Amino acid sequence: MHDPFDITDCAAGAEALAVLEGVGRSYRSGAVAVDALKPLDLCVHRGDFLAVMGPSGSGKSTLLHVLGCLDRPTAGRYLLNGHDVSRMPDRELAEVRNATIGFVFQRFHLLADESALRNVELPLLYGGVPRAERRVRASEALASVGLEDRVAHRPGELSGGEQQRVALARALVKRPRLLLADEPTGNLDTAAGGRVLERIAEESRRGMTVILITHDPEVAARAGRTLMMRDGTLGHP
Amino acid sequence: MNRRLLSVVGEGLLHVVRHPLRSLLTAFTSAIAIAVTVNVISLAFGMQEDIAGDVDRFGRNTVDVGLPPALAPGMPRPPLGAAQAARAAAILDGLDPLIVPRRQRASPVRGEGQTESERLQLVAAPPTYLRTLNIPVAHGRWLRSDDPVGAPGTETDAVGACVLDGAAAERIFPQVAPAAVVGRVVALRVEGAPRRMRVVGILSDPLRYRELFETFDEGKGARTLTSSLLSFRNVYLPEATFGDGPYTGISIVLADGGAVVEAQERLIGVWADARDLASLSSGRLVVFARGQWMDALGASTMQGSMIGNLVWMLIVLVAAIMISTLHLITVRERYDEVALRRCEGARRSDIALQITVEGVTTALLGGLAGLPLGYVGAALLREIVQFPFRFEFRYALVATGVAVFLGLVSSVLPARHAARLQPAQVLSRRLT
Repeated sequence: MHDPFDITDCAAGAEALAVLEGVGRSYRSGAVAVDALKPLDLCVHRGDFLAVMGPSGSGKSTLLHVLGCLDRPTAGRYLLNGHDVSRMPDRELAEVRNATIGFVFQRFHLLADESALRNVELPLLYGGVPRAERRVRASEALASVGLEDRVAHRPGELSGGEQQRVALARALVKRPRLLLADEPTGNLDTAAGGRVLERIAEESRRGMTVILITHDPEVAARAGRTLMMRDGTLGHP
Repeated sequence: MNRRLLSVVGEGLLHVVRHPLRSLLTAFTSAIAIAVTVNVISLAFGMQEDIAGDVDRFGRNTVDVGLPPALAPGMPRPPLGAAQAARAAAILDGLDPLIVPRRQRASPVRGEGQTESERLQLVAAPPTYLRTLNIPVAHGRWLRSDDPVGAPGTETDAVGACVLDGAAAERIFPQVAPAAVVGRVVALRVEGAPRRMRVVGILSDPLRYRELFETFDEGKGARTLTSSLLSFRNVYLPEATFGDGPYTGISIVLADGGAVVEAQERLIGVWADARDLASLSSGRLVVFARGQWMDALGASTMQGSMIGNLVWMLIVLVAAIMISTLHLITVRERYDEVALRRCEGARRSDIALQITVEGVTTALLGGLAGLPLGYVGAALLREIVQFPFRFEFRYALVATGVAVFLGLVSSVLPARHAARLQPAQVLSRRLT
């Protein structure tokens, strides 16, 4: 297994999906500059399943936002799928997120007034997929997480585990290269969390790159490798 | 429009449907604004258009040469007769003028069988006089050159002919339908002597808002010969009724409306000191283009409609601020949704478009509901305060356009705010 902190030849390698080269992120909080992410190197290969652990406020979410092209680094360079996305225009970043990255959040972030099917359709809508095809693919994605009989249900009519599976279906429906999951089991009981994790692991086995943020060592143990985030710095556990 | 944009528009429309209470509140605000807009436009703009249409009947191609008003006892009056009419024709050589002289006197007029008499203007003029105006004959016919002038006396059978303005007929025969006035006889005085005249025709009343018109006319202090003539409460008599005394005025009708200014310039150069009615003291003839008088009236009604327009614009502005505030509050409640959409590939422009579609749709729906509301409101107002009101389909179109504009304007800030949201910042409140 490769060393994720060794980016030598990583950028040029066909195996690399996400490469952070000295990437840092600092914020201004009033007059004070806060280094949420200290300059770090990271090389994520296609098919990697990484877990990132760390205490609250350690910078895990900032890392996830940068990796998910939701935030721009203030230092360094981020290569995703061979393209430098750290200076990409906002419009193109939206397309990258739509085509390449799937998100799963701790609090599901589903549209409360829409059915499970419409929630799963959402990324396809922004991808310009025709309506009929959207319906088919969203139905398949829901079926793949065991919710084929819940397509018309709204989030309020689903259990927490089911809601997270809808969110997972939404992330998977566009067949992303990179799946970013932030505490995907944080609000679920053990059984429901297990089902979600199993589905994520299954995608990893099929070749999807997964980066999972968690507090839970048992959840992290499902990943191929665990990294530890402390004070904005990423390292081995 | 590509499929993606259509989908975003669809998301906006769906949001309106999915949140009926929120949409209803916004639409209600828009409905009130549009109702007021329709109301005010119908009242102010409609009245202005009506009056403009009315005054266009007063002979825009006509220039009047008249005697100045007697401002002081014994004030000399210039001669105005056949010689001056011939001179006017010579001055206007090449402009193809139609010279229409008239003699005008005030007289008490009483319909036979009626108890009250009315003091009205008698206008003796040739049959061509009707060409100085654009007013149709409502009943009977206009004067002919062979119509009798009658003879002095109250018992004589030598009855003359006359035509009444519609408003004059109403005053002289208050309980009689205008059509039934034709054939009846009126008693009046010509040069101090009583005379009986049979009504051969009734002119339409060109003034839909007669009371407003007369208020304006008197308010302007312009009780001139022209304005008294154009108050359309006259009795028209055959040309020879007043014999061959001096004319009260000469109306000159020009075939080409573009020649009015030149005709006026030529006549002023010969006869008048001033172009307007404000400085008449020299005893020279007044030269007056009816177009000026019409424009003054138009400008006055325009002021009224401008105030009306300001009122509805102000109300639309207030509505825009209210709707915008509602949208902003809504957007604040939807930070998570916006952030999620951005995560899933929505561009800033997609978010702005969706919010704008929501705003325009609710404002438009409210506006459409406000159209009948405004119509009913204006109709009620008309009944309560007797104010003129006119509703046309194009006012509805204007109001619909205003509703769309209202939706657009009120969406600018919320759309901009939503589009600028940083998904990472929004999600940070929940993640970690």
